[in-house]
Amino acid sequence: MRNRFTELFEGLLNSNPFKNYYKKNRLRPPGAANEETFMELCIRCARCIEVCPYDSIERADLFEKLQIGTPYVYPENKACYLCMRCMKVCPTGALNPKLTDGKHVRMGIAVINQNICLNFLYYKDEMTGVSSTGTAQLCGTCYNVCPYTDEAIVMEKFILPVVTDKCTGCGICTEKCPATPEKAIAIYPEGMPVDKNTGYFGRRSKVHGEERKKSKDALKGEKLLEEKQKIDSSDAKPDFEYNTENYDQEW
Amino acid sequence: MKIKRYRRAAQLLTVFAIFFIPVLNVFELYFIKGTFISMDIGDAAMADPLAVFQSMIAAGRVNEYMLGSVVIPVVLMLLLGRVWCSWFCPYYLCAEFMSWMRGKLRMKAYKPKFAENIHIKQSKVRYIFLFAGLVLMAVAGVPILNLISAPGIISTQAMVLVKFHYVTFELVFVAVLLLLELFYFRFWCRFLCPTGTFLSFFRSKRGMTVRKVRTECSDCMSCVRSCPMMINPMTMGDTSHCNNCGDCVDACPDNKKEDTLKFTFK
Ligand code: SF4
Ligand code: SF4
Ligand code: SF4
Ligand code: SF4
Ligand code: SF4
Repeated sequence: MRNRFTELFEGLLNSNPFKNYYKKNRLRPPGAANEETFMELCIRCARCIEVCPYDSIERADLFEKLQIGTPYVYPENKACYLCMRCMKVCPTGALNPKLTDGKHVRMGIAVINQNICLNFLYYKDEMTGVSSTGTAQLCGTCYNVCPYTDEAIVMEKFILPVVTDKCTGCGICTEKCPATPEKAIAIYPEGMPVDKNTGYFGRRSKVHGEERKKSKDALKGEKLLEEKQKIDSSDAKPDFEYNTENYDQEW
Repeated sequence: MKIKRYRRAAQLLTVFAIFFIPVLNVFELYFIKGTFISMDIGDAAMADPLAVFQSMIAAGRVNEYMLGSVVIPVVLMLLLGRVWCSWFCPYYLCAEFMSWMRGKLRMKAYKPKFAENIHIKQSKVRYIFLFAGLVLMAVAGVPILNLISAPGIISTQAMVLVKFHYVTFELVFVAVLLLLELFYFRFWCRFLCPTGTFLSFFRSKRGMTVRKVRTECSDCMSCVRSCPMMINPMTMGDTSHCNNCGDCVDACPDNKKEDTLKFTFK
């Protein structure tokens, strides 16, 4: 009974446009269930909004896919300071009231854009000896303001900020980052697919995929298998022509 | 002392509260907090049962926070009937104000003639509307009926106004309803309001109910004329339509001599 139409119908039923709607720098309050469950549970009572002492949480607008009235934290305006008040008042468990320790919060994860971050620019300048901006500025604000300094953000080579998986996604770094016009550090909400975050192997497979599409005589199916079976560490290595140059580019 | 005086006091106090609670919270006093979709007084949590019911359907499961927060409203409903509507709901107060306005504007009141079976018609429309809303909500998988809950909108808007100094577009919905109140007598509360309909499922005949305690009365029909829900208080006080406003008890002239139409518990 499976045909194109049943599949189309299934697809329609399974992809609910109201429940998987993410944007960069737009987070659910701390302790929120995953986006789908959250949209089911949140009754838009605005309690969390009311109780937040920093006015971090705002109501969603009217024209955002039935999100109207649900709570969002926009870290570019005002980050969450992890006071852990909002989840206690939620009447439906959309925000988990059992959460008491800020360090278990996962609202999202911070991602640093290395082309904008002042410290990365400074480091590049120093390494190459050529000034790209004309001025050299050292920052490190995100490292200093992070509530979990040295856990969520660590300094590599003493000046390069790197976000670890301890990041709570509170967004204080984003709020305070001085880079203009665009902030150098952004929070991607929990559950949002971020290809910037896929890591080296994810990036490499993406490069492969694009390369494969381009070249006509790319190895496929049986031929690829044959080629792979030839791989043997004792012998001379077979040639694979993969372009490794842009693996580490900024995505 | 007229019941209406107490009722008006309770209503005004609620309206005051929806503006005052956010003010308290701005000053970080959290003893009482929330809106009319969900509210905490001390440690007692309350939430609109319909709102919670929706998120139960949408999520397909029940958790202890949901159950805990509907206990007080449901118990109140079982004990005192639909008092939420006539004693506390801010929309009801606005609707009563619109009735008063209609008198001031010398508009001919559109109040249909009383008919013994009107409550059946009302029920049909109410249940169909609620059911359609719930089906729509289940398809969307998101508790969207809260977006048309008049008391919820009014109190969340009040909170947003106090805390962030703006109001959003949802208020237009309430404004339109109130404007329509000028032409269709209490149409929202009688026929449509999903919150009221859902609450009235928990109406118990053993709770506070208007009853004619004497068999005879002067049959002046003052109570029938005064009832905002268009039912006959003498016989239908125990249906889910009556919201225990007490207007009929106030209107009954026989009450002065001898108890005739009264709130009773059984
Ligand atoms: S944890 Fe505190 S600061 Fe963060 S959103 Fe909740 S109430 Fe606001
Ligand atoms: S307190 Fe919970 S149900 Fe209410 S608006 Fe916030 S997340 Fe939604
Ligand atoms: S605050 Fe912004 S510019 Fe400064 S180090 Fe962090 S990411 Fe770079
Ligand atoms: S029916 Fe709805 S709008 Fe009317 S008084 Fe009751 S809760 Fe309020
Ligand atoms: S029957 Fe009486 S108490 Fe009930 S709604 Fe009508 S007037 Fe109010």
